[in-house]
Amino acid sequence: MKAEITGNKNIQGKSLWYYSWKRLKKNKLAMAGLVIIFIMIFIALLADVISPYNPNDQILEFATKPVNFEGTVLLKKSDNNESGFDYLPINNFLREENDSVYYEDFNRTERSINTNELISPDRNEYLTRLNFLLGTDRFGRDVLSRLIYGSRVSLSVGLISESIAIIIGLILGALAGYFRGAADKGIMWLINVVWAFPSILFVIAISVVLGKGFWQAFVAIGLTAWVDIARIVRGQFFSLREMEYIEATKAMGANPARVIIRHILPNCLGPVIITGTVGLANAIIFEASLSFLGLGVQPPTASWGQMIFDGYKYIIAGTNWGLALFPSLAIMIAVFSVNLFGDGIRDALDPKLTK
Amino acid sequence: MWKFIVKNFLYSLLVIIGVITVTFALLYIVPGDPARMLLGQRADEESVKRVKEELGLDKPITTQYLNFIMKAAQGDLGRSYATNREVAAIIIEKFPATALLAISAMLLSSILGVIIGVISAIRSYSFTDNASMVFALFGISIPQFVFALLMALVFGSILKWLPISGYITDGWDHLILPMLTLALRPLAIIARITRSSMLDVLNQDYIRTAKAKGLSEMKVVFKHSLRNALTPVVTTLSASLAATLGGAFFIEFIFNWPGIGLLAIDSILKLDFPMIQGTVLFSAIIFVLINFLVDIIYAFLDPKVKLA
Repeated sequence: MKAEITGNKNIQGKSLWYYSWKRLKKNKLAMAGLVIIFIMIFIALLADVISPYNPNDQILEFATKPVNFEGTVLLKKSDNNESGFDYLPINNFLREENDSVYYEDFNRTERSINTNELISPDRNEYLTRLNFLLGTDRFGRDVLSRLIYGSRVSLSVGLISESIAIIIGLILGALAGYFRGAADKGIMWLINVVWAFPSILFVIAISVVLGKGFWQAFVAIGLTAWVDIARIVRGQFFSLREMEYIEATKAMGANPARVIIRHILPNCLGPVIITGTVGLANAIIFEASLSFLGLGVQPPTASWGQMIFDGYKYIIAGTNWGLALFPSLAIMIAVFSVNLFGDGIRDALDPKLTK
Repeated sequence: MWKFIVKNFLYSLLVIIGVITVTFALLYIVPGDPARMLLGQRADEESVKRVKEELGLDKPITTQYLNFIMKAAQGDLGRSYATNREVAAIIIEKFPATALLAISAMLLSSILGVIIGVISAIRSYSFTDNASMVFALFGISIPQFVFALLMALVFGSILKWLPISGYITDGWDHLILPMLTLALRPLAIIARITRSSMLDVLNQDYIRTAKAKGLSEMKVVFKHSLRNALTPVVTTLSASLAATLGGAFFIEFIFNWPGIGLLAIDSILKLDFPMIQGTVLFSAIIFVLINFLVDIIYAFLDPKVKLA
């Protein structure tokens, strides 16, 4: 007899993902992590809009200023600049006279500039105060703006390199776990070889070989990080391929590709997601470490690791801690929230904890 | 048993050959002429040619590769571009500093980590537990070089309690900051693993039996649970030890600790390729050997390990 379940939605089965998401939503720490990750992604995407100043604009007169520093500038016309103006930092505005503006420069000398050279004759437009909320670095660049743009590098290198790692790891892990035998032996050997290298040194060595730069960083990280994914996927395949439903699909004539992709892979996504978030957190740390050594993205592009390196000399000297502290905090917050979220997923996907 | 040891040893050798191959490949594709780098840009063609012959760089790649393996097997890793000294000799000279740092940090992190993990597990979901676990997650989330800088800032520059640069030859207090910094991450990982492993064990029937027959909580926790919960902890610990014995790169670099890690980063910054190759190879081989030893020890201690 056929069971009558149509028309009654209440007893329809819900997927593991549905229950996991429900459990995840209850986990406040994990949701806080997720919210912070989204905020960071937003900041990275909208950097052009949010950032108070251009992260690469240098005002040497305002170098290494403390938090919340305010400086006065005149806006000069400029042809070789996107924004259409240059900053002329001044110590004091003195007066407007005839067609000239008189000001005091940083040597306390009186100087003048013709209003034609300024962006507008209107004092409200050409005279402005710049506010550096988190201070400035040694080139007089705005630390806050550089932090905001730095999030792009961290997040994109993290996401792209971990995606590379997941793709390689899924393919090799699936092949090893499904076919076993020689394929498994070969892939396991490769995993053990890569595993043996200290990952950070391996990443550094690969980027030395590939040369400094943006894409080199994520290739180096991706080539190292896949082993964790491959191990997990292989283990999952080992147990899943013994399940009866797999035997059934094979008996129905499905070819290996179909069995792997449609029937086994979806069932090992949970562990892959968990390992992937850990990997993402590590990738962000690796990118920062590479930039710290000057091997990641190259200046003047802002990256957190490089900002820490620039600021670290000031820590040793005991001044301007903010220069190293703010990017450090940014990395910690990013990695911490990814880990919080990862821990939350781990708990949510764990059927043992089902309440 | 011997069969197990020999089999594992041969497999470790196979992995080491893979490691050597990867190291060789890495440096083979580096742009630039090694002979010229060794001699400097102003060397004349004649001596460049001579050095090339000495190093075997004029031979085909397969010969070079076999030479590299043969030499590496004899402990000959070439000469440093920067100092022209033998790479292997420099590595052996630097190893004690790294070993001292790694072993002291692992001791500290295993003791503290297990204590924190056990307390968290018996007081699970309490304030102490939550606070310890947030601390542990923090320990995993902070990049080593960032934590090293923070420690240098707080204890070196602000409080001026401890030296932030140098080796124990200038006093044992030089060990403290690098050791604490290196210990943080394994400590955090061990605390988390001890906690979850203890929670698993504490839910088992035999623990309920032990409690039911009136044993004191201390006895249940330490005698019946902890022993069984320690297996994954030991695994983590040995993995950490194997990884750090190859050098604590950023920590040695920032605290100017003269070990393998500082050597590796210095040679990377100087593009001293034989030295890079040597340190990478050394770290990887240490990792393989430690894991080999740990597997053997496991086989002796744990009857559940299959000797196949």
